[in-house]
Amino acid sequence: MDRFRRFLVSDHAAGWAFILPSVILIVVFGLIPIVWGLILSFQKAGLISPEREWVGLGNYAKIASDPKARQAALNTITYTLLFVPTSILASLFIAHALNRKIAFVHFYRLAVFIPVVTSTIATGIMFLWLFDKNYGLANWLLGKIGLGPFGFFEDPNQAMIALVLMTVWGWLGFDTIIYLAALQGVPQELIEAASIDGSSRWSTFWRVTWPMLGPATLLLVVWSTISALQLFDEVFFVTHGGPLGRTSVVVFYVYRLAFEQGLGSLSLAGYAAAIAYVLFLVILMLTLAQFWLGRRVVHYSS
Amino acid sequence: MARVAFDEATKVYPGPVVALDHLTLDVADGEFLILVGPSGCGKSTALRMVAGLERISDGTISIGDRVVNDVPPKDRDIAMVFQNYALYPHMTVEKNLGFGLRRRHTPREDVRQRVDEMSEMLGLQDLLRRRPGQLSGGQRQRVAMGRALVREPEVFLLDEPLSNLDAKLRVQMRSELKRLHDRIGVTTIYVTHDQVEAITLGERIAVLSEGVLQQVGPPQDVYDHPANVFVAGFIGSPPMNLLKGNAAGGRIAVGEVEFVDRQVPDGEVLVGIRPEGLHPVGEAFDGPVFEVSVEVVEPLGDEVLVHGSIEAHAAEERREAEEVALLADGKRDRATITLRLPPEERPKPGSRLRVGVAQHKVRLFDAANGLAVEPR
Amino acid sequence: MSAVTEAPVELVRPDPRSLAGETGMVERPRRRLLPFDPWHLFLLPLAAVMLLPLLWMVVTSLETEAQTFHFPPILWPGTPQFGNYLDVIRDSAFTRWFWNTTVVTVTVVASNLVLCTLAAYAFARIRFLGRAFIYFVILATLMVPLQVVLIPTFLLVKDLGLLDRLGALVVPNLVNVFGIFLLTQFFRTLPIDLEEAARIDGASRLSILLRIVVPLSLPALATLAVIQFLWTWNDFLWPLVTILTNQDAFTLQLGLATFQGSHQTQWHLVAAANLMSMVPMIVLFLLAQRYFVRGIATQGLKG
Repeated sequence: MDRFRRFLVSDHAAGWAFILPSVILIVVFGLIPIVWGLILSFQKAGLISPEREWVGLGNYAKIASDPKARQAALNTITYTLLFVPTSILASLFIAHALNRKIAFVHFYRLAVFIPVVTSTIATGIMFLWLFDKNYGLANWLLGKIGLGPFGFFEDPNQAMIALVLMTVWGWLGFDTIIYLAALQGVPQELIEAASIDGSSRWSTFWRVTWPMLGPATLLLVVWSTISALQLFDEVFFVTHGGPLGRTSVVVFYVYRLAFEQGLGSLSLAGYAAAIAYVLFLVILMLTLAQFWLGRRVVHYSS
Repeated sequence: MARVAFDEATKVYPGPVVALDHLTLDVADGEFLILVGPSGCGKSTALRMVAGLERISDGTISIGDRVVNDVPPKDRDIAMVFQNYALYPHMTVEKNLGFGLRRRHTPREDVRQRVDEMSEMLGLQDLLRRRPGQLSGGQRQRVAMGRALVREPEVFLLDEPLSNLDAKLRVQMRSELKRLHDRIGVTTIYVTHDQVEAITLGERIAVLSEGVLQQVGPPQDVYDHPANVFVAGFIGSPPMNLLKGNAAGGRIAVGEVEFVDRQVPDGEVLVGIRPEGLHPVGEAFDGPVFEVSVEVVEPLGDEVLVHGSIEAHAAEERREAEEVALLADGKRDRATITLRLPPEERPKPGSRLRVGVAQHKVRLFDAANGLAVEPR
Repeated sequence: MSAVTEAPVELVRPDPRSLAGETGMVERPRRRLLPFDPWHLFLLPLAAVMLLPLLWMVVTSLETEAQTFHFPPILWPGTPQFGNYLDVIRDSAFTRWFWNTTVVTVTVVASNLVLCTLAAYAFARIRFLGRAFIYFVILATLMVPLQVVLIPTFLLVKDLGLLDRLGALVVPNLVNVFGIFLLTQFFRTLPIDLEEAARIDGASRLSILLRIVVPLSLPALATLAVIQFLWTWNDFLWPLVTILTNQDAFTLQLGLATFQGSHQTQWHLVAAANLMSMVPMIVLFLLAQRYFVRGIATQGLKG
């Protein structure tokens, strides 16, 4: 009995010993900031200065009347609505194209995947140069087919689209990998059966393959939406919110408030935290809604 | 007319690997033909070529009156049941059954009627709203068949449809299949590696090995008069005993035992005797007799299989590696033979048995090329 | 649904089982108008578009400054200016940035490999008090996006005195919850018999982990390492926020961003710097493709 108790104790001890360093780190750098952030959002706080003043829901109320916040929200929504369908549809088509045994397919797949490993800054530099109004390759090529020249990042009406193109380029590989995996999971027998049943290629894709891609599509929609709503690096580096604030997205606005303006004597960290939390709630609700909707529509074959 | 004709149909894969070697075979309208053989013999390839899922490298395949080499599957008016059923997992049984009809723009009421009739015929009425994931193996199999038959195809193809079912269900489905075919009468080509299935189900069976057609004919014919050693060894369970013999002037010697009155040329022959062609006999028997040293006795309930060794050499035909290991047992100069006995006559291992041969059941094969020697 | 073991590895090499082309006539046989598969007409331009920004960077990095300002753009400089690369290294703290990033990344990856393995093994195999609760809470933190914790973590790091130092980049990332999740899922798929046999033989938990589980988990660990490497190497926001004035502590991404800012019109240098910064990740990708692909596919299955 004593040995048994000792055995139990040792398992508990072992378990805790194994997780302790991680748990400590996660509590300190994961949980505490989450709670602290919430508290901050109820305060008027400075980043460098120790000033803390409790304002309750004041920060949250302020969001509603802040035109810059509204603009950031609008830009973020625009970006998301452009980014998500584009990247998903493009990657579906590309995955379908890559899912065949033809010459050089290894090379093609590589070409599609490589942009995933380039950093946001590296990508930003590449596209800043490509889209350069005066010397960029893009305007030259487009000029050859009679289009342009475009201002891209420098044109208030085009900057958002240019951002979408750039980020889609960077993310296509990721989505394609997932769709390719899903496509390869569709048993070839099913396609053959459909073909024998008299289904044309389009009909087979739409009625047999596409439904089986449901889980992958749901995943990509959720993942892409979350990423899109959290866009930051590219905006900061390439357009810095401009021109004329047309690409200022929520996370960028949060950063500006806390780390550009807030570093001065203005104590905006609390306000920024509040905006961050609102975004979090939006993401959470959207994700839940997408999953709930997805579960009803998507079939998970057992 | 829905006959299927293979005319020198050949399939070669890069390698080169010849999966099917100039198959020439006619399937009559309404016939139930079985393609049987071990894995890799080309039976599935042949089936898929009829379906249009494999391109034909050489030769032609005709369905009805037209050559279908270049006709895509959906235009061939065939239906197929896959080994793993290939049911659309996201559709209900009802939708699965009706898929093919809807693809061909059949009017909705027709679809409903035919789906209802088929589901009644196969006992699926209560399952129409379910998805494949919620069905048992046997139910899925019936849905797969229903989906194929509801289209009333000219040719019905089945690729080892019973191999994923447990033994009992398999036996049940075999008779259901037979009943179905009797009722519907569509030209059917059925592929299996199980020779028991082949002989019980087929009107005619075609035995293939390594891409080459070995023999085609009614099951009993193939069983009784195998065209070569391969067919002799493949069809029939337990397999035919094959022994080395020497023919000289009409007398064939197998070890110490002699058979007479055979019109065979001199030289080596292979002597095949099915287990049921051997019986324990008394001293009075005047035909060829083997002295069998009983080694293993397998009671099967309705009969007993007796494996024993005799003074003779076994023919060196292809056997699975495990079989060779089990039977050889180091005694190279003694062959092992199998015979069947009624359960009451069960001998003891280690005992000796005088076993007589029913001469009319002996089959002879050329030792060089394996072909059956006598005219049928 | 198990995660890592079922994620396909062969995505970069064509999977012969899934082809829809050559063996059969599932597609209508067309008379061949072209001597090659028509899909090349789509895939080749696609590959060109995907690789264009990179290739253009290569070209630009080998031009002189004057050549970069030529319009229409010069597609290939007569004499490649390899010297640009040296200029970048001379005119900036590029080597310092590279070194910093390497140190930070290697430390973070190593730390994650150790800590995540320990924690994941405990969650997967050891029954201890509070296991389910803690696991749930930990995973919940994955749901919280970065911007929410950005400001408070900054304040925390400031209070810990790590601001403006490499420590700020290392310490908060020593363990990544996603890594714990990945490995926990993976460990659960290993056959438990081996571990039970070892326990009966009297081995301690730690030695079971090190001698039995880890050797069987090398692919999953490689995947984790590769993904963590990618994240840390390419991270921008966190270094931006925590390294404010101390240029000595700049990472590659941060340095690259400032370099572009200070050399705005010298595209030949910026391109060279950019390429040099991308090379390690591209090389890693080419060497470890299967792990990248597996990692991404698993990230996807996480949902």
